[in-house]
Amino acid sequence: MDLVRHLRYFVVIAEELHFGNAAARLGMAQPPLSQRVKRLEDELGVRLFDRTSRQVRLTDAGRLLLPEARDLVARAERIRELMARTVRGDTASLRAAVPPDLGASVLAALIARFRAGHPDVRLTPAEMGTSDQVDALLGGELDLGVLRHPVAASGLGFGPILVQHPGVLLREEDELAGLATVHLADLAGRELVLPPRALEPGLHDETLAGCRRYGFVPAEVRHAVHGQFTIGLVLAGSAVAFGRSADVPGVAWRPLAGSPLVWRTSTAWRGEPSEHVAGFADLTTRVLREDAGMSDEGASPRTWVAPRPATGFLS
Amino acid sequence: MRQLEQIFRTAGVTGWLHAVDIDTGREVGLGADEPVVLASVFKVPLLVAFYRQAERGLIDPAERVTVSPEGRAGGGTGVSAMLDEVTASLRDLAYLMISVSDNASADTLLARVGLDEVNAALADLGLSHTWVEHSCADLFTAMREDARAADMAELSQMTTDPAVLSRLRVLDPARTSRGTCRDMTRLLGMIWRDEAAGSASCAAVRRLMGLQVWPHRLASGFPYDDVAVSGKTGTLPTIRNEVGVIEYPDGGRYAIAVFTRSIGTAQNQPRADAVIGTAARVAVDHLRAPFMGTGPI
Repeated sequence: MDLVRHLRYFVVIAEELHFGNAAARLGMAQPPLSQRVKRLEDELGVRLFDRTSRQVRLTDAGRLLLPEARDLVARAERIRELMARTVRGDTASLRAAVPPDLGASVLAALIARFRAGHPDVRLTPAEMGTSDQVDALLGGELDLGVLRHPVAASGLGFGPILVQHPGVLLREEDELAGLATVHLADLAGRELVLPPRALEPGLHDETLAGCRRYGFVPAEVRHAVHGQFTIGLVLAGSAVAFGRSADVPGVAWRPLAGSPLVWRTSTAWRGEPSEHVAGFADLTTRVLREDAGMSDEGASPRTWVAPRPATGFLS
Repeated sequence: MRQLEQIFRTAGVTGWLHAVDIDTGREVGLGADEPVVLASVFKVPLLVAFYRQAERGLIDPAERVTVSPEGRAGGGTGVSAMLDEVTASLRDLAYLMISVSDNASADTLLARVGLDEVNAALADLGLSHTWVEHSCADLFTAMREDARAADMAELSQMTTDPAVLSRLRVLDPARTSRGTCRDMTRLLGMIWRDEAAGSASCAAVRRLMGLQVWPHRLASGFPYDDVAVSGKTGTLPTIRNEVGVIEYPDGGRYAIAVFTRSIGTAQNQPRADAVIGTAARVAVDHLRAPFMGTGPI
């Protein structure tokens, strides 16, 4: 029997718990669907559904089977997709994504160095925020991501986590530009430009939490996806931003005293990385280190977690 | 954008919710049928299974048992946090399991009731999307294995690391104790209508859920002296849940299940805790509002 196909029928029925609805979703008639389930039950030697006149319920065996079946059906689909790509002749392609604010020179260095090392692999770069990357990686639409932590996603593998301590970008006329370093608390009352929360939820929240902790409650938070827009808002004098030094006339960059903010970046992939993916991940990590001012230093800034009963595991 | 989704998003979490009027069946939900990680919420089905077995004469709730300190499941509350041997009745251990989510008490009860029996009770109640996969101790073992931590102390320092979190099986509904919001509110409805077991047993379960001490989740949305909140929380790294029943002085009673997963990995998630109360309140207000439809908010 075609086990995968039968398992797919099973999964759909288990989701619908209704044979008529499941048949409709599968685009088939109900009697053959019932027969196939019967065949699957015979093959496995268990009953998968309890059927009464009014309702369909999973048996214990059915419940055990469901996550396994989902997994197998998804894997089979991935195999088909992979083989279809082989037929199209684009196995040696790599779909990679980087955050929109990575910077033109870093992106250029990344692509140039990859091409030099792998002239036979077609690289498809895309610009994507962390949340979209997570979705695309888990959905199999992306081979490698460069994303901002923290992300809470099951099933992703990460390269070494690199750390960046952003400084502050100010308008040159800002009185704080006269100081060698700026304390976060000095920024009190100013507006702040951040990447949109929907794009970078982890970085957005951790940065704001860090600001509040060190005495900077922004008068307003403005959202900008691209570096140019951010610089525009800073130049207009209405806001400050965090990041690397920008070589733009009229904008001053100052380090933050005590490096209170930590931005963490790493490569990411789903499951076991292929040779190309692993190679590109290593290369990316090197480029981020050498060209984007990120470092391994204290890369796992594992802050001490003081135990509290109300937040303990299984509380 | 739908209001509930917006509320969860603003708090930095992904949220699932189902709320239902226990007496009229009027309901509201968000992802109510999607599988969610139960975490400690599994202690409610365990408690129900415990009393159902007691009704069949298989367990004496007043039987005194001794829980030795060796091999006890860890935790910051109840018997888990105590240093010495503890002797108490099974039903008083059940009290600790629900009121302060004591893991050692839960595992003692689970050893008596049996994992299969808990799942059989769930199936018998028609809660086909709910499944209890492991004891507290086994769940911790799975976490330590996945995180490659030597002991619980090390584990608790590792779970803010996204790379560690992405490896944890216990955060994947397919591989740990799981349920759906709708299954949970159905279970609560049956407990409050005396259908989950005999009326004395259901009353005992309701009493324990009313003795839960935590004020920071569901209860925070209903800060009124004349509103009763009974519930059971669930907590794992990035996961904050509570299921419970809200009872108003006019007799209105609402079963509600809120499950969240935070984007941030900090162990302290005050906004995730609070949004459980906020979202529950919005849902209950919706159910109590006259002349409004059911369905999505």
